[in-house]
Amino acid sequence: MERRKPLWRVILDELRRMEAEMNRVEEEFFRMVKEAEGMRKQITPLYNLYESGDEVILTADLPGTSKEEIDLRVGEDYFRVEAPCKSPVRKVEEGKYVLHVRLPFKIDPQSVRARYKEGVLEVVAKKKITGFRVKVE
Amino acid sequence: MESQEYYREVEIVEVKPIDEKGFVFIEGFPDIGLVGTIAASYLVDKLKLEEVGYIDADTLPPIIAVRGEKIQELIRIYSGRRLVVVTSDIPLPASMIKPLGYRLMEWAKSKDPELFLCLSGLPEPNRLNIDKPGIFVLGSSPELTEKLVQADGVSKFRDGFIAGIKGVLLKEGMRMNVNTAIILAQSHYNYPDPGAAAEVLRYLSKLLEIEIDVAPLLESAEELKLKLRDLMRRTDQMMQGIQKSKELELPPVYL
Repeated sequence: MERRKPLWRVILDELRRMEAEMNRVEEEFFRMVKEAEGMRKQITPLYNLYESGDEVILTADLPGTSKEEIDLRVGEDYFRVEAPCKSPVRKVEEGKYVLHVRLPFKIDPQSVRARYKEGVLEVVAKKKITGFRVKVE
Repeated sequence: MESQEYYREVEIVEVKPIDEKGFVFIEGFPDIGLVGTIAASYLVDKLKLEEVGYIDADTLPPIIAVRGEKIQELIRIYSGRRLVVVTSDIPLPASMIKPLGYRLMEWAKSKDPELFLCLSGLPEPNRLNIDKPGIFVLGSSPELTEKLVQADGVSKFRDGFIAGIKGVLLKEGMRMNVNTAIILAQSHYNYPDPGAAAEVLRYLSKLLEIEIDVAPLLESAEELKLKLRDLMRRTDQMMQGIQKSKELELPPVYL
């Protein structure tokens, strides 16, 4: 007769099944990223988008380029970054960084400032504040 | 005990047995800014450490690494210069972390180590404005922490959370009475950070009295960041699964 599995084993097996499912979804994501990069020689950089008070901050990891070569475009609700990516050691072009980030709110494009330091691009913009002031009673 | 079976799923294989006692163990599993991974791999390369074993587990994906026509294990153990260094080519699956932490510390204890060091990054949102990342240390005992902060410019890690394999190793080291410590450098959270790794290496150089020239690491930082982008992307996914962002918070205080 088959021995019953202990409870910890049942729970662990279920957790592992869930982990395998999550891995499958992640794997699909990584495959699509790599295939897209391979097809177009376009690299999606690692990036973060933060909201801090009335500012929006985008940082993107762009090693192998220079501030002169970064093409940064800003609209009321997007940031777009393009830059060549060159291997500093092998001196060959690896591809082109392309990053298009749609923002969940409007910004003032005139307020944008950007800097590039140690391979990381930082873009800071002020949010467009619209609306009326309401007196609190 | 049944739960021991859970821990036995991780296998540590010594291809060339480490017979001597009193070595310093160093682990550099991938996490924040890949700081530990970059620092540990640099040590292996620069000190020309020899591959002496590997770690295997059912939960590891069925992958092999091939470098220069040579097949390699994913999690490798190196030794030499009275050091034992463990590195991994992939982020650890979440379900492997606890059994690996237990087994690795149990194995290290059997070798009577002088010290077990976990290398990592301390997530610093303001990293871009920091030219020289600060070093923070936490030992498995207050006495050990005191000893480790004697070097200049090193601070104690006072409050916060440590998630993942580093936290498990520190806890197991404390439970098993092995002198264990975590060395953290202020780092980008999810961008490879060779600058932070260089600071960890400078600290190790003083602590272990081993000459480690970090200039080549800093010179090739951009190239390294390019090469490590995929590992960082995968590590970022893994970190989301183990509440690594908790390291940006402070533990609750109730009075």
